[in-house]
Amino acid sequence: MAKQTFTTGQVLTAAQMTSLQQTAMGGGSATAKTTSYVLVAADAGTTVAMNAAGSTTITVNTGLFSAGDTVFIQNWGAGTCTITAGTATVSTHGSLALSQYEGGQLYFTSSSAAIFFDISQTTGMTNPMTTTGDTIYSSSGSTPARLGIGSTGQVLTVAGGVPSWATPASGGGMTLISEQTASGNTAINFTSISSSYKQLLLVYSGLYQSTADGAYVLRLNNSSSSVYVDQGQLIDGTSASTDYATRTCIGDDIIGFRNSSTTLYNTSSGFVIIDNYSSSTKVKTYSANARYFDNNASAKRAYIYTGFFNDTTAVTSVDIVRRSGTGTLNNLTNTSIRLYGIS
Amino acid sequence: MKLIVNCETGEVIERELNKEEKDQQKIDQIAFDLEQKAKEAEAEAKAAKKAALLERLGITQEEANLLLG
Repeated sequence: MAKQTFTTGQVLTAAQMTSLQQTAMGGGSATAKTTSYVLVAADAGTTVAMNAAGSTTITVNTGLFSAGDTVFIQNWGAGTCTITAGTATVSTHGSLALSQYEGGQLYFTSSSAAIFFDISQTTGMTNPMTTTGDTIYSSSGSTPARLGIGSTGQVLTVAGGVPSWATPASGGGMTLISEQTASGNTAINFTSISSSYKQLLLVYSGLYQSTADGAYVLRLNNSSSSVYVDQGQLIDGTSASTDYATRTCIGDDIIGFRNSSTTLYNTSSGFVIIDNYSSSTKVKTYSANARYFDNNASAKRAYIYTGFFNDTTAVTSVDIVRRSGTGTLNNLTNTSIRLYGIS
Repeated sequence: MKLIVNCETGEVIERELNKEEKDQQKIDQIAFDLEQKAKEAEAEAKAAKKAALLERLGITQEEANLLLG
């Protein structure tokens, strides 16, 4: 029902009351327009619907409505219906161009100004998401943009001031570079070691010699020069002694000396850490922990060494070398020599 | 036999020592023997000094251990 001016003694019919109620609830019957339309005073308090296949307009002029009047505007048709400010002013936060099935309420703040409250579903941000896992971010100001889901394992990061998915940098872990088992060897060389790690870790266990007369040592870059400067603690049976020297290898026969026992706890085992190995300007620090059984002397030996590879050349190979005797090096079953890179 | 691991490619080869490596082994052996002789001489000298001291004190090794323990 259009806005009425009631008079004293007027009697409303049931149909009028029903229409009034519908209008008060935001509804009200409407005969859809099929061509562009100019609002008239009688539209106050009613629903104006447009149903056209092509583009149309609904024009708002001054002097027809009072402050507080409303007109509910709907577009049923496929053609865009645009609310057009004729002689009146029309403001909105949304859009005055209504696609099919869009609508809103035109509320007059004065006889010459109205606000259109766009209640269309597309009012506000256009949803840019297309795929499961997509997220939305601002690409500039309030402009929304789609960020497609990243790959498994990727993490959210920032690049160029906007979020993106990126593969995290590896770090903080150990990489097994190579695992070998000795079998009748007199030397084992790990060569062409990548410079991409911070430290190298050599771990060995279960090593024994074919005869109890060999002395196996560890060298870097296969260097037999006197560039290994270290100090160690030797625990020989129950007595301990210190051992300081400039040598041609790391420590004193740490890979095994005259150890031919094939009993697991008597075999040679230990580990060596080499720090800053890839530097081409600094000496390298190493730390070694080793133990084995000297069958010739029938003595259990354990070593702890810390020292320097006094050479600025980058280390690219770690070498197990026999420097005395004839015994060859072997691994017990289920034991090995492993070289790790520590990031 | 020498085991050579190329950590970049993963290739592992096993071969006999070449002449240069055998020569290095000989050098290492000589150095090792000299080192061992020096160690033995040092140990012998130390043992001799110890024995002379025990004799001068008129005590046995076991008694010395008791004193030091």
